[in-house]
Formats: sequence, C-alpha cells, structure tokens
Amino acid sequence: MKTQSFWEVTTPHRPEFPELEGNLDVDVAIIGGGITGITTALQLTDAGRSVAVLEARRVGGGTTGWSTGNLYVPTGAYYHKIQGSRDAETITSVAAARRSALDFIEQQTVQKKIDCHFSRRPWYFFTQEKDMVSTIEKEVEALQRAGMPVTFVDDIPLLPRARFQKAARMDGQARFHPLRYVLGIATDIASRGCQVYEHTTVIDLKEEKDHCTIQTNHGTVTCRQVVIATHIPIGIHTVQTVAAPHRSYVIAVKLKSGNYPDAYFWQNDTMHKAITTHSTDSMELDMLMIAGNHHKTGQASHQEYHHYFKELEDYARKHFDVASVEYRWSAQHYRSGDGVPYIGLTHKDARRTYIATGFYADGLIYGTVAGILLGDMLVGKENTWLKAFDATRGTNLATAATFVKENVNVAAQYLKDSPFSADAEHLSEISLGEGKVLEMDGEKVAVYRDENNHLHACSAVCTHMKCIVHWNNAENTWDCPCHGSRFMIDGSVIEGPAIANLETKQIDSSNGRLVKDERHHSGQRDLNNPIT
Amino acid sequence: MTTIYIAIGFFALAALLGMYLLSFVLRGKETPKAIVFTHGPLAAIGIILLIVYILKGGPNPWESLVLFVLAALGGIYMVFRDLTGKPIPRLLAVGHGLLAVTGFVLLLVFALNG
Ligand SMILES: Cc1cc2nc3c(=O)[nH]c(=O)nc-3n(C[C@H](O)[C@H](O)[C@H](O)COP(=O)(O)OP(=O)(O)OC[C@H]3O[C@@H](n4cnc5c(N)ncnc54)[C@H](O)[C@@H]3O)c2cc1C
Repeated sequence: MKTQSFWEVTTPHRPEFPELEGNLDVDVAIIGGGITGITTALQLTDAGRSVAVLEARRVGGGTTGWSTGNLYVPTGAYYHKIQGSRDAETITSVAAARRSALDFIEQQTVQKKIDCHFSRRPWYFFTQEKDMVSTIEKEVEALQRAGMPVTFVDDIPLLPRARFQKAARMDGQARFHPLRYVLGIATDIASRGCQVYEHTTVIDLKEEKDHCTIQTNHGTVTCRQVVIATHIPIGIHTVQTVAAPHRSYVIAVKLKSGNYPDAYFWQNDTMHKAITTHSTDSMELDMLMIAGNHHKTGQASHQEYHHYFKELEDYARKHFDVASVEYRWSAQHYRSGDGVPYIGLTHKDARRTYIATGFYADGLIYGTVAGILLGDMLVGKENTWLKAFDATRGTNLATAATFVKENVNVAAQYLKDSPFSADAEHLSEISLGEGKVLEMDGEKVAVYRDENNHLHACSAVCTHMKCIVHWNNAENTWDCPCHGSRFMIDGSVIEGPAIANLETKQIDSSNGRLVKDERHHSGQRDLNNPIT
Repeated sequence: MTTIYIAIGFFALAALLGMYLLSFVLRGKETPKAIVFTHGPLAAIGIILLIVYILKGGPNPWESLVLFVLAALGGIYMVFRDLTGKPIPRLLAVGHGLLAVTGFVLLLVFALNG
C-alpha cells in the first residue's frame, strides 16, 4: 500500500497559491507554509505588517498535513523531564503557552468559520506495564504542578480496568483537521493582503545590517525580518547538533462496530502508541488512527521499513475490530536538547532572523505557540513565554548530554562512508522497486530501479553535510541518517535542512557505468549552504 | 625517542590516507568521510605526541611541529569547506600535503640523527 496522508485525501477543495514571479520587498518574509509559518503570517498580517510566505511545495503539505490532528497540553518530552532539565517555572510557562495556543486555534476556527472539525475532548494517559506506572505518576504530578486539571481515573473508554495498570485523564483537549485549518488561515490572510507563494523554494538567505535578502528559485525577496519556519532551519545551524530527526508511523483504520471513542489516548508502554479518532467529512467520527514506532531518520533498525506499519497494524487488529486499513503514512519530528522547542532569534548576534524548531511530535500546538510568540517578538511586544522558549538560551546539562549523544551518532554515520562500502556491487543486485547505494567510478551513487525497469540515479552524498543517504522502502525516498534531510528518487529535496537537490547522474545502460559529466564533478559542486 | 617513533607511525598512517584523499580531491570526487575522519585524528595524535616530546626539553624537531600545525589548520579549513558544501581548492589540498610531507621528512631526519 502506498503511503498517503489522510488529511491530504480529505481536503477536497485545496486552494492554490501562485509562484513568486520576480522580486519583492516586504516587512517580513516567512519561509515555510506549515502551521508555524502560516500562524506567524496571520499574527503579523493582523499587526499591519506586509508579509510574504514562501513555501517550497504546497501550503500545509509538510509535516502539518501529515500529522495526526490532535491538540493537547501534554508533550511527548514529558513535563517532569523538562522540569529536571530546566525548572518549575519553565513547565508552568510551557503548559500555559500550549493551553493558550489550543484556545487560539479554537477562536480562529470559530471567527473564520474554518470547516476543520475542531472539537474538544479528553486526553487519556495510561499504561499496561507495571514498570511504566511511575512515569504516569510523575507526569501527572508535573502537569498538576504546572496548573493543569489532570486526574487519575479508573475508567478509560478503550480498556476494562483489569487491563491497565494506571490511567489519567485531562478534559478540554481537542482534535481538528490540520490541513483544512492551515489552508483556512492561509486563505483568510491571502484575502487580507498577505502574499502567499507556493512552489517557491528559498535557496539562500542573508541577514544584512538593515535588511535581509532571500534568494528563491523565482526571484529575490528583500525584507526587514525573516522567519525560518521550515520545521528545522534550512542550511547549517547549530540547533541541528541537538534537534535529532525521527520518523514515526501512522495507520488509519475503519472499525466494523463503527464505535469510535471520542478521545485521544497515549499508551505509555515500552512501545509508546498514540491512539486517536477523526472524521472524514462531517463531525461524525469514522476513522481510528494509531501512531508510533519512531526511529531516527535514515537509521531504521529494520531494513524493511514496512515492518513499522505492519507492527501498528498487528496492534490495531489485536485491540480493535478492524474492518480495513485505509491509509498509512509517516512523518518527521525533531527533538530539542532539553525538551523545550527553540523559538526566537536564530542566534545571539542575530537581529532580524528568527527560527522555530524542536517541537517533538507536538508541533501543531507548538507551531501555534511559535506563531503567537514570533508575532509578538517581531512587532516588539513583550511575551512572557519567551524565557522558556528562547532559541538563544544557553546550554544546560540535558542539552550537553544530547549534544554528545547526537554527535557521536552523526560521527558514526560518517565513519560508515568508507570506500567499497556500498549496499551492492552491481546494478543487477537491485530488484524492481528497490533502491541501493552503489560505488561507481569512486562515487557513492543512489540508484533506484522502478517497476518498469528504468534506473534513476543520483549522488548518494547528502547536500546538507555530506552523509550518505539510505533507501527508505516504505516511502521510496532517500533519507539522510545524519540530520534528516530527505530526497525523492529524482534527488529533489522533500524536507529537512538540505536546500540543494541531490545531483542527478546518468547511467549508461550498455555497460552499467556512469556517464561522465565533463562540465563539473560532484566534489567540485558549490552547494552554498547558508549558515543560518 | 620512543615517543618520536610512535609519532612517526601515526604520521605515516595519516600520510597514506591523506594521499588517498588527495586522489579524490584532484579528480573532483566527493571524499569518503570515513577516511577524512580517520586521517585527521591520526595526524592529531601524531601532533600531540610531538608536543609531548618537545615539552620534555632538549633538542627537538620544532620545525616539524610548526609545519604539522600549519597543515592541520589547512586540513580543518578543508573539512569545514567540504561539510558546508564548498568545493575544496585543489591547490590548498596539495599545499596541505606538501607542508605535512616536509614536516614528516624533517621529523625523520631528526629521528635518524638522534
Ligand atoms: C507522525 C506525526 C504525527 C503528529 N501528530 C501531531 C499531533 O497530533 N498534534 C501535534 O500537535 N503535533 C503533531 N505532530 C507534529 C506536527 O505535525 C509538527 O510539529 C508541525 O506540523 C510542524 O509544523 P511546521 O509548520 O513547523 O513544519 P511543516 O509543516 O513541516 O512546514 C514546513 C514547511 O517549510 C517548507 N520548506 C522547507 N524548506 C523550504 C525552503 N527551502 N523554501 C521554502 N519552503 C520550505 C516545507 O515545504 C513545509 O511546507 C506530528 C508529527 C508527526 C511526525
């Protein structure tokens, strides 16, 4: 089964936004049209700024449109752990920000009449394993300390009491259709003067003394301030040394009973699962989703990526009366050094460039927090959340530990790039529909053989920081194990920090060798990765 | 003197890998990063051993050290360029190699005379 996001399929009237044509001068340019970029654009448009959103692909078509549409105050990084790495004030601030962002989304859907199935409902946190009870207890305590109305319960809609060890519930959380929501906001701001451009890729950016210059594939944008809302900053950024990229998997199933619980569940067992329900077209629930099985991007423990979906499917069939598996997809999240996202000025000396990243898989809310916070920062308004999220905050013990762990891991990936270490020696070892890295004429080449027996080849050297990409056979993509850049089979960037596409290569089918490109050599290619 | 011989061993290994890397740069190919990140640390260990030897006092091959440190700076700059997507200037790669080879020859002369 092909991977396909439920949200994309259930968005019938997707508005189109134009490509940028020529040059532009605006107050603020926002790179990325996901929930972060679009919420920031909304706040700045409301504040009277001239704003341009530059989106490489389609608005909402990044992680936002491939998420699971749950809105909740808790966070996967866990408040009790954040309190350990930061302090009690931080968790209170983070929880308050998340609660305000949830209310903000509700207000927008009501005010702008966005048909995105927004509906309040409870969140449940439970475990079936004795060893995990203490995590539930610690997290409930931390949430309560942060002022959140969470309580232990003896009932959960999914399981009889005998089948779980401990459970907690918090009311007032919500679900919505993230793609319809973002497109609704984008349509609204576009009608009020905000310039939203699709298929407009930023390839370079520079902060000057009194302005910023952004180079796109269609023209140059000059602005006073720039927000990099690309999920992880594009180009090279120090945050990439701690914001580890992970992929996680989702399946959406129909139930025979038609009995869909109206709640969001976190099963906090050794294998964490998130269980949610949504509706296709009306407010009526008709789809159950299970998400989980994350692993570092490009570093699957199973060569067979389908395993991750299969495991979710087995879980679904074990616990629910599954009629059919309708959709399956996967998406990426980025962590942070101390469990709290990085939002604000990109580094201590920056005056005009802002970032928002490190959301874990909680970024529909964090992206909204970022939009509100950046909106305030860019117009010079004080916001008390800044202290918790400040992207220029100094390092702490937790961040230092993450830094060491992540960079040892990255070094290990580089050390795998030795001569003669390829997935296969000959093109004949690549089956139909399969991709492998080969060494050809002293170069690592990523080769995919399509179902019609055509070979698609590009350099296997990631254009971000030159790790060797790995084949992802669930999504037919080339994924970089170092910082999470992902590429299509033709080498074009899908997501991650990379800006330039993998260089395409030609294979001479008569002798199976690379066709020599006399104009330039891979190692001499100037990728011009901006340090953001 | 044992320290010097061990340092020579590390520099010799680094030199072999360095020549191999140079062949990639001269052909305009991407360098294999496992070799890049082995070559550098081997040379760094050699430099540390050399510093340890010099700190002990007495006659020492300080000219070699200066050349190796200059070569190392060039190496770090090349890795920075490479990882941030800038081509490695061939002249710089050759210059880096020549500095290191000169340092190595001077070190050998010192060791043989000692
Ligand atoms: C499986 C999964 C499920 C999730 N479920 C939930 C959930 O239920 N609730 C929740 O709160 N969070 C969830 N998340 C997290 C959430 O989806 C993300 O954190 C959030 O969508 C990030 O939004 P964003 O706008 O920052 O990034 P994105 O939505 O990824 O947007 C970034 C945009 O930048 C564009 N871009 C990139 N490079 C360039 C360039 N060079 N030029 C121009 N544009 C560029 C991309 O095309 C993209 O559209 C989930 C995450 C995963 C992985």
